[in-house]
Amino acid sequence: MPVEKKYETPLLDQLESGGWPSFVKEIKSAAEDNAMANDLLGLLEQSYQEKIGHWKHGGIVGVMGYGGGVIGRYTDLPEKYPAISHFHTMRINQPAGWFYTSEALRTLCDIWDAHGSGLTNMHGSTGDIIFLGTRTEELEPIFSKLTAAGFDLGGSGSDVRTPSCCCGKARCEWACYDTMGLTYYITNRYQDELHRPAFPYKMKFKMSGCPNDCVASVARADISIIGTWRDEIQVNQEEVRNYAKSGLDITKEIAMLCPGKCIEWNGNEIQIDNSNCRHCMHCINLMPKALAPGKDRGAAILVGSKAPIVEGALLSSVLVPFIKLEEPYDDLEIWELIENMWDIWCEEGKNRERIGEFIQRVGLGNFLDAVGLEPQPEMVAFPRDNPYVFYEEYFEEEEDQ
Amino acid sequence: MAVDLEKVKETMFKLIKDSAGMKKWKATDLHKACEELFGDEYDKRGVGKDAIKELVEEGKLVYTYFGGSYLELPHREGAAND
Amino acid sequence: MSDAQPKRLTDIGPPHYQLFLPPIIKENYGKWKYHEILKPGVMVHYSENNEKLYTVRAGSPRLISTKKIRKYAELADKYCDGFLRFTSRHNVEFLLTKEENIEPLIAELEALGHPVGGTGNAISSIVHTQGWVHCHSAATDASGIVKSVMDELLPYFKTIELPAKIRVALACCLNMCGAVHCSDIAILGIHRRPPRVDKESLPKICEIPNLIASCPTAAIRPSQYQGKPSVEIDEDKCMFCANCYTVCPALPLNNPLNDGVSIWVGGKVSNARHEPMFSKLAIPFLPNNPPRWPEVTSAVKHIVELWLKNAKKHERIGEWIERIGWPKFFRLADIPFQKEHIDDFKHAGLSYKRSVHLTYM
Repeated sequence: MPVEKKYETPLLDQLESGGWPSFVKEIKSAAEDNAMANDLLGLLEQSYQEKIGHWKHGGIVGVMGYGGGVIGRYTDLPEKYPAISHFHTMRINQPAGWFYTSEALRTLCDIWDAHGSGLTNMHGSTGDIIFLGTRTEELEPIFSKLTAAGFDLGGSGSDVRTPSCCCGKARCEWACYDTMGLTYYITNRYQDELHRPAFPYKMKFKMSGCPNDCVASVARADISIIGTWRDEIQVNQEEVRNYAKSGLDITKEIAMLCPGKCIEWNGNEIQIDNSNCRHCMHCINLMPKALAPGKDRGAAILVGSKAPIVEGALLSSVLVPFIKLEEPYDDLEIWELIENMWDIWCEEGKNRERIGEFIQRVGLGNFLDAVGLEPQPEMVAFPRDNPYVFYEEYFEEEEDQ
Repeated sequence: MAVDLEKVKETMFKLIKDSAGMKKWKATDLHKACEELFGDEYDKRGVGKDAIKELVEEGKLVYTYFGGSYLELPHREGAAND
Repeated sequence: MSDAQPKRLTDIGPPHYQLFLPPIIKENYGKWKYHEILKPGVMVHYSENNEKLYTVRAGSPRLISTKKIRKYAELADKYCDGFLRFTSRHNVEFLLTKEENIEPLIAELEALGHPVGGTGNAISSIVHTQGWVHCHSAATDASGIVKSVMDELLPYFKTIELPAKIRVALACCLNMCGAVHCSDIAILGIHRRPPRVDKESLPKICEIPNLIASCPTAAIRPSQYQGKPSVEIDEDKCMFCANCYTVCPALPLNNPLNDGVSIWVGGKVSNARHEPMFSKLAIPFLPNNPPRWPEVTSAVKHIVELWLKNAKKHERIGEWIERIGWPKFFRLADIPFQKEHIDDFKHAGLSYKRSVHLTYM
């Protein structure tokens, strides 16, 4: 249904020009026949004029039975912009690796055009398909059409957030395990934890196939599963020579930048001291045709990264230096470890305390005790440099001595 | 012997109802309270999880979000914004 | 809805990815051998049995209409048997098996206003949050800054000749839904006015003990208002994280006079060469100046161009700054170093300079 234009948007109009694709054009295009998108245009122009947002908290809406997947949102100017008095976000669990057929995309568009603003994010930061803006009464009809089409909601609130991964073995020679396969498995294994928030705060999984970490799992996942290998880098010396012939300065650009200083180039062959390789990927990145990760592939599991809220940003740190991640996934030992971690975190964690902050508070050593892991030197950048050790036991003199 | 599902549901609902407006309950708080009441017989991963799921599916409780996810009595739409 | 409802499905999880993989990927899953970047935005992956999969990557504003998605679908049907994917940085990627389709597809994408690029040693799309389009706690808009910055940096999207890759991210408040804290350049919305307590609505909608516990610096104290429990703010202790506002809507921090943008540099997530590192504060505050945020745009462009001019091959921004040292970065960038640059949160002392490894030129 065509919508009559109601709003002048002189500030937003200035964002239609320029070489980068314009979100304003996208909103305007949706606004031609969608009243919600049209009111959004008016409201956003007002925000640009006043330099302040006009959205309110709304933490109460959802679909029946789920505690995640819908972010309630209301404008604080409902009389002026009635079509977006409700403007809830729906998070829809993306297919692993973000692959689609045109048919699947059209199915999603048909559902959203019938029930929402016609605006989306492809995709949100966590990885979900984002349906941006609908009314409470539309949530159930959308959910029912989505599930009929084979889609389900993603996570929000204090639950397992929608797991995401790089494209892994689907289109990358560096994938050290099947990121998409494992992501699909984890998402299904933890459906209840994803839809029914039962944790102190959010719990994110991200699966990267190699240490290049294309989904930034080390920075933004409570559980970061990063592919790596533990044998020798595979070398094709003929192709190394070809790279050198085509102008790559192997000594300067590769050997000298190697963090383990474990590569030498004699003008004819490269020698790699694999026992000192740090698996950083730099040499492989520069010579993909000549070098490849080894054959004994798996992953390292790191834990605890997060953005600043509440106690400061953290990077994930090593919990399991190497593990094979092969099917059948049911038989992997990491599920028991993960569920033990959740138990102790649920038991002792504070409200809004991510697992990384929890580990900082109780100490990694105590956390390892609680989840049943032995300390390993791979878990620290360096051992402690202060002598304040909390010894838990001491000897008493025997009475007769 | 495991604790009866209906008994757990009743207990959880009462905890929330009796403290409405004074205390917000997270799933972890409900499990802790039930562990205290029922002792070792209470299995949070089994009966505890099922009880919350059923209470929500029956519409007796709803999930809410205020910087964390809580279980509460059903609200009127948009009540947080009054 | 009047029509009969089928049985309500729940907990079905996402569709299986195999439903959406093109035949060439199904056949070569796990069998890719190497790849080449043919030109900006175009890659070819070779499989063990020498099959070739071409990828054409185009930038996107992330906020897109269903009409645009349908257009993507149309292009996928026309050039790639209906198969496409998206990247973690919001780019769209078309998956082709016919080399002759590459140029016509690029021409159509460019005509549609979606530049092709963002591969290899280039800038990729800016990962970002919702801003004033949809967020209650935004200290700035997201899409508008991203659009303005990318309009300026577009030549660096359509190249593969930079010293290294550069990853820019934007979050419209400290919650960092975009987790921007490990980016080459992070643009971060910040509040600078402590929360005002809406005393009328606070007791109705917030649980006070929880609210007090939410403050990481203990700046929220219990008080009374008209005989009812309330809170007051010790403004000297507030560091503007807005955690209280997330827990309790009656403590808004949004304020047009004081909200703005900070710029952070030198983070990375990949393990290549240097270990992952956080971005560090370069510019504490720039004003919100919509619609095009000229101060932010020129600051970002300035830092990128300084890096281009001074970095050695393969040095990302953080690696470059680590080599030259922060004092020299501030001198070269002509950014005044001030009190805000010195950490005063937990473990701040670890960031103090504890040697005389200094440069003076």
